[in-house]
Parts: sequence; C-alpha cells; structure tokens
Amino acid sequence: MIANWKRAAAALAAGLAIAAPAAAQQIENELVLITPVAKTLTDPSLAEFAKYAKEKWNVTVKTSALAAGTPVAYGRIVEWKGRPQADIFWGGESALFDKLTEQNLLAKLDLPKSVVDSIPAAIGKPKAIPLKDPKGFWIGTVLEPYGLVYNPKLYQRLGLQPPKDWDDLLDPKLKGNVAQCAPTRSSSSHATYEVILQRDGDPKGWEFLKRLAGNTGIFTARSRDVPSVVAKGEFAAGFAVPSYMAFEDRLAGFDIKFVAPKTAWITPEPIAVLAGAPHPKAALAFIEFMLSERGQRVAMERGVFPIFPKFKVQGAPGSKAEMAVEFTGGLRSYFDVEVTNIYDDGIAQKRYAEVNSQYRKDIESAWEELKKKY
Amino acid sequence: MKLPRATPAALGFVLIWTFLAVFVLYPLTRIFYDAFTNEAGAFTLANFHEFFTDRFYLRSFWNSMVLGVAAVVTTSVVGVTVAFLLVRYEFPYRNLFSYLTMLPMILPPLVGVLGFVFILGRAGTVNVLLMDWFDLTHPINFMYGMQGVLLVETVHLFPMITLSVLDALSKVDPALEEAAQGMGAKGWRRFRDITMPLMTPGYVSGALLVFIWTFADFITPLVVGVQDLLAVQAYLNIVQFVDRRIFRMGIVISALLVVLAIVFVLLARQYVSIKDYSSLAYSKIERRRLGPAKRRLAVGFLSLLMFVSIMPQVGVALAAVGRGWALTPLPLEYTLEFFEQVSIETPKFIVNSILYSGLAVLVCLAVGVPMAWIMSRTRAPGRASMDALTTLMLAIPGTAIGIAYIRAFNFPLPVFDVALTSVWIILPLVLAVRRLPYTVRGSFSSLLLVHPSMEEAARNVGAGGLRTFWDITVPLVWKGILVGALFSFLTSIQEASATLFLTLGGWEMIPFGIFTFYIAGSQSQAAALGVILIAVCALSLYVVNRVAGTRVGGLFG
Repeated sequence: MIANWKRAAAALAAGLAIAAPAAAQQIENELVLITPVAKTLTDPSLAEFAKYAKEKWNVTVKTSALAAGTPVAYGRIVEWKGRPQADIFWGGESALFDKLTEQNLLAKLDLPKSVVDSIPAAIGKPKAIPLKDPKGFWIGTVLEPYGLVYNPKLYQRLGLQPPKDWDDLLDPKLKGNVAQCAPTRSSSSHATYEVILQRDGDPKGWEFLKRLAGNTGIFTARSRDVPSVVAKGEFAAGFAVPSYMAFEDRLAGFDIKFVAPKTAWITPEPIAVLAGAPHPKAALAFIEFMLSERGQRVAMERGVFPIFPKFKVQGAPGSKAEMAVEFTGGLRSYFDVEVTNIYDDGIAQKRYAEVNSQYRKDIESAWEELKKKY
Repeated sequence: MKLPRATPAALGFVLIWTFLAVFVLYPLTRIFYDAFTNEAGAFTLANFHEFFTDRFYLRSFWNSMVLGVAAVVTTSVVGVTVAFLLVRYEFPYRNLFSYLTMLPMILPPLVGVLGFVFILGRAGTVNVLLMDWFDLTHPINFMYGMQGVLLVETVHLFPMITLSVLDALSKVDPALEEAAQGMGAKGWRRFRDITMPLMTPGYVSGALLVFIWTFADFITPLVVGVQDLLAVQAYLNIVQFVDRRIFRMGIVISALLVVLAIVFVLLARQYVSIKDYSSLAYSKIERRRLGPAKRRLAVGFLSLLMFVSIMPQVGVALAAVGRGWALTPLPLEYTLEFFEQVSIETPKFIVNSILYSGLAVLVCLAVGVPMAWIMSRTRAPGRASMDALTTLMLAIPGTAIGIAYIRAFNFPLPVFDVALTSVWIILPLVLAVRRLPYTVRGSFSSLLLVHPSMEEAARNVGAGGLRTFWDITVPLVWKGILVGALFSFLTSIQEASATLFLTLGGWEMIPFGIFTFYIAGSQSQAAALGVILIAVCALSLYVVNRVAGTRVGGLFG
C-alpha cells in the first residue's frame, strides 16, 4: 500500500518535473553509447556520470553501452542512416569521425569554449596527432598509447630480456609465442601496422610484418583478446595493445607488463554526438562530464592519460591511479614528455583498403608458409 | 483427407504461410539480393567470381568441409557407442550416465570452448602439470588449431547423434534382431545387416545436424585462432563494416552458406525428410547384462567420456571464481568478485533470456504444432515445401539469419513508423524462426504415433476440425510437443549467433552478455555469467522434467 502510494507520488513528481518551466535545463533520462572502448572504461565512466546527473539535475539516467569494435560501430552508425539507436560514438580513429561528419551523421558539439580551448590542438612530432576537430564535430577525451605487452613469467622461462621496442618481438625464441590481431579486424592493430610501414618504408615494413607473422602463434578475433591471452600465459607477448586494455588484466590480478615503444601511436579516443540522437542533451552532458576533472579522474584510474595538460595521473600510494603510472612506465602525462609520432592518419586512411588487402594476400593467406620460412 | 474447409483452419493455413514467407523466405531472398548486386545495386556475379578465385576463401571452403566431415566421424563413433550401451545393455550407474550424456547440451557457445582452453590451453591445467612434471619447455598444443575445434565440437555435439540414434534404436524391433541371430548372423554382421539400416534415417538427420552445426560455428574456431573456415570468414567480414567490399564478401559467404545448407539438405533428403521420421512402432527393449570385464569397459568408457565432457564446465567454474589464474594448475586466489560484478546486469539478462526464449517457444508452438498437424494429417498443397523449409531452417547458419534480418527489416514500417529492427520483438521472432524445426519435428513424430482413427471417431460424433485437434490430438501428443518445445527453448536461450547483430541496448540475453564480457576482455566475468546460464538451463530442464514427469533421457528416447 505504502509502496503504491510512493510510486504514485513519484509519478506525480515526475509529471510535475516535465511540466515545470525548468524542464528546458533538464537532460533526458536515458543515454546510449556505441563504442569500441572496453566496458572496463565505459562502465565506470557511465556510473560516475549517472551519479553526477542525479546530483546536478536530479535525473536518474539509464545508461547503456553497445560494445562494438571500431569498424563495427562505424558500420552500424552508417547503416542507421541518420536514425541512430545510440546517442554517442566514443573511441577509434579521428579520421573515421571525419568520415562520419562528411556523411552528416554527427551533430556539432555545443561545448563551453573554455573546455575546448584548454585541450591543445595536437600533440607529437614530426607528425601531429589532432586532439580535437577544428570544425567542432568531435573532441578527444583521453590519451592512450598502442604498445606491446608481455608475460614476465613466460619471458623468464624462455630466457628472454623484457622487450623495449617492436623489433624485440622478432626474437626467434618467441616463435609461436606472439599474439596479435589482424589489421583487418582491429583499428589499433591497423594503426600499429601503419606505424611499422611508415617507420621502415614499404618493402622493409612488410618484411618486418611477415617476420612478425612467422613468430605469431595466434591471430585473435579482436584486439582486446591480445592482452587476455598474454595475461593468462597462453602466449608470451602481444602486439598493438591499447594501454588500458592491458591494465585491466593487471587490475584483475594477472602478471602482465606493458611497454610503449618510442614510436607507439597515441589515440585521443574521440567522442561525438550522433546526428538525430534520441537523447542529445544527455549526450552532450556526458561529454562535458568526461572533460571535467571528475570525468578525467575516472579514466585515469583505468590506465589512460588526461587530454588536458593541467591534469596528471596521480593518486594516493597504492591507488589504482598510481598502479597505472607504474604499469605504463612511470608516465603521468603525455604533455610532460616529448611525444614522437611518425604515424600519419591521412596516409593511413587513404590506403586503408590497400594495406588490408596486402595483409590478406601476403600474411593471412600465407601464414603457414611464413611460420616455416622464418 | 482434404484440407479442412472450415474457415478457421483455412485461415490458419494462410497465416502460417504468411509467417513463413515474411520471416523466412523474404529475409533469405534479401541476402541473395545483396550477394548478387554491387554497392550501386546493379546485378553482378563479381562477388562470386572473387570468392572462387581467392585462394584463402577456397582454402576456408575446403577446411570447412573437412572439419564438418571429421566432426561427423568423431561424434558418430562416440554417439553411436553411447546410444548402444544405454539402450541395449544393463550396467552399474546406467541411469546416471543417461543423464550425464545430455550434459554437453547445456553448454552455451563460447563458454564451452573457453572452459576447454582453461583446462587444455597452452597455459591450461593439463599443460602446466605436464610442464612441471616432465620439465617441458613448450606446451602441447591441444587447442589452437583444427584439432581444438574438432575436440570442442565432438564433445558438444555427440549427444545429438546419441539422441537421434537412441530414438531409432529403441524402435528397432528386437524380434528382427533375434531372428537374424537365429539364422546365424552375429555381432558385426547382425549390426551391419539389420540394425544399421533400421537406424539410418535417425542417424542421417543427426549427422546432418552435426555437420551443419560445425560448419556454421564461428565462435569456437575464433577463440582458438582458426580463421580459415567459411563461417568464421562470414562473421569476420561482416563485423568489420569499414571496408564495404569485405563487408559484402561477408554477405556473399553467408549466402553461400545458405546455398550449401540447401545442397546438404537435398543430399540427405531421402533420409531426413520428416515423413520417414518415426515410422516404426516403439517396443520395449530387454537390456542385456554385461559380463564383468565388458561391464568395467563400458563404465570406464563412459566415465572417461564424462570426464572429458565435464572439463569445460569445470574450467568455466574455476575461471569464474579464480583471480589472476595464470600458469598454475588451479587458481591460487579465489573470489566472488566476478559474480558480484556481473550481478548488476545479470537480472536483466536473465529476464530478457527467459522472456524472449519463452515468447519464441510460444511462437514455435503457435506456428509449429499446426504445421506438424498439416504435414501429418492433411494433404494440403505445399506440404512438401513446408517440410523442406523446416529442414532448411535448421541448416541455415545463425549469422546468416541475423544479417538477413538486419538487411531485410531495417526500414520504417508503414503504420508504426518504426523499423522492426528497433523493436525488441525481433529477437523472439528470430529465435522462433531458428528453433521452430525442433517443435515441428517433436510434434510431428508424436502425431505419427497417434492413430488417426481416434480423431476420426471424434469427428464422427460431430466434433469440428479444431475441436478434434484440441480435445483429442493435443492431449495425446503433448509430451512430444513439450519435448520439441523444450528443445526449442534450450537452444534459444543459448543462442548467440543470430541475435549478435540484432541486439540493441537493453535487449541483451545471457549469451550476448557473455559475449560482451568476453569482448570487453574479462574472461572471468564471461565465465561467471556462463556459470549462471548453465544454471538457468539446468533449472529449466529440471522444471520441465517435473512437469512432464519423465526423465530427460526418457523424453528424448
């Protein structure tokens, strides 16, 4: 009886809230992300955002995330043709966001100028990595390197020194012990293939990648599986792993190490509101939240870096933030160091399909022969 | 008997065909349309040309065939042996074993292969022990490669063979075999000349199921790093949407899988046609007692089989409670944190699973039982096509159906101005279509056992067509229907491939949740949810058992 009465009162209150003039300031009570960013980062972010929305607007936002790899997420957004079943696209390469903008599938971001301005336009030399869209359709959220991982226990058993650079994965002792994801399946893998190709030039770059395939014991279905199989000890080393994915395995209690080679690419994990989003206000509120100190702190505890020079990964001794610092080699902010970047996203996107088909022809179809050859 | 002229029956007939046309034929046509057109929508054969000139696709094609055949061989050896032992012989714990052999049926996709990797992987329990005991530097590769896929499929699918043969074996009149024996045919000869031909129809339909299941499974190969298989290529090409050409090749491969399914069904048709199902009467089989040596052998074989069968469940259970389990035989630290983490969303998953699978079963019953009745009791036109369509539905890979639904129903419906793909009802629909054949077959086989004379009697005293059906037929066959429906339910609740592309936020069923946790990288959370799904399945099996009042083994036999 009392419960019924309470429910009626709540309904009444909700009805009044809608009728009240303040409604214009209100955000919708639902938010759906479509994202390649793993649950381990999206869940805490959404949970913290829900708390924030409750405090600020007294709205209980029902949040959910459609988990999909970058290509899948992109494809679904294109398939939705402007009638999206999600509000926000978060993560992946900024060039894909530009492609969506061209197709009029993104809504312009109406963010406070002070927030946008405190994010630098780009980071890295000689090639600059854009951190926000000059046209204002997407904005970076965090900085995240694509590096390599290894299992210390297996490295010891194999008699190997910890890896420092990509080339260390070609060690013959690692035969059959490297895990990677095909560049056709994973955007982080594709970007790292490009890093190698742009570092070494085409013929030498492909030679490197073929030798890497010769050492590879598994091509996983998704990039997220790479650190998993290394953490579990199924394979000794993994190629092209986003830092926070590996850190999750560390948090889950596994002994796994992450190394970002000097030339590792760093993604700003762009975020955008989809054109025609069912909950545009909640979507924008979420982005503002992620770019606030509170939002940045949530992300920093999961193994990624702040996108603002003003924040540093820092926490009490033994905190997750400090664990993350230790895990990524002592770095607290990418704005503290000289960032080397040789990856040119323009080049990469232009020959995206070509690299994929060359990979299919020279590596995927020839894997058995490569294993014997190298 | 002609098609009943009564309007409700005729209306029902039309409705059933409308359902089949809209939800089976139309989406499949859409897939073929995609396969034969280019991005501009013009007719082309280029897609197929590309497939048949690509070395990698051709190798995938060949590998898929080889794997399918290999799985049929291994499941047959295991499945037929088990069926024989259970039906024909008496030995200790026979009842227990007849329960346990059904265990692999409640092993959701992904969970099974993950469980095996935890035990038999390069860092699995067995390899860790071997490396410790024998000082091996390199683990033995049980899992990563075709051998791993074959192992998982064999353990998962042998009960299908067992069930299909069990049915036939229990119906083979022992008098026939005795007669053969009396005339001097013994052992192998008797099996070859008498028993085998009689169990062939059941066996072939089971083998077809095993072949197609293996052929269409992409999750197992993916986990163990095998990508040169057709179903895997279809899935991988489709889930990467960026490269439209590769995406279209995914659809082309799906279309090809459908074509191949049609071919296999046609090849096996003379056996699996629903008409041949259960044409012999049941008779009680006397079980023979085994001598002490053979008895030990039988118990030993079944125990070993059960040991291997239960490996994935054990592996998953350990992974669900083990923290940071790597390179040790058993987890060093135990925790319930993964159950806690998944518990936030789990209630929603469970509710969705039961709701959607339940609705799917209702649709299966509403469409499937009348279908079975039409096929068994009437001469209505189009029965043969109905039969063919039912078999075909079993054979079409889940991913193909899923993608067909997305392509076919992603337009705003006229009256509601909302696309069917944006309404959750599409999930129960796709599940129903995919699992309808089990209900049809279950109902059909039991309908055949009810003599039409009873229905005629009812009609003679003035009962109408529908009335006769509800008052006479249904009470007599409800157990068969229930078994079919149960099977539809169990396979629906474990379905991942067809629903994977169609699921939107808020509609997640348990297998989708397992997939999401796995994709998010938490094998432990995926394992925890896997344990919950296994529990839900086991519980629903138990409940249905209590309702039906028979043992599962009995239900299937």
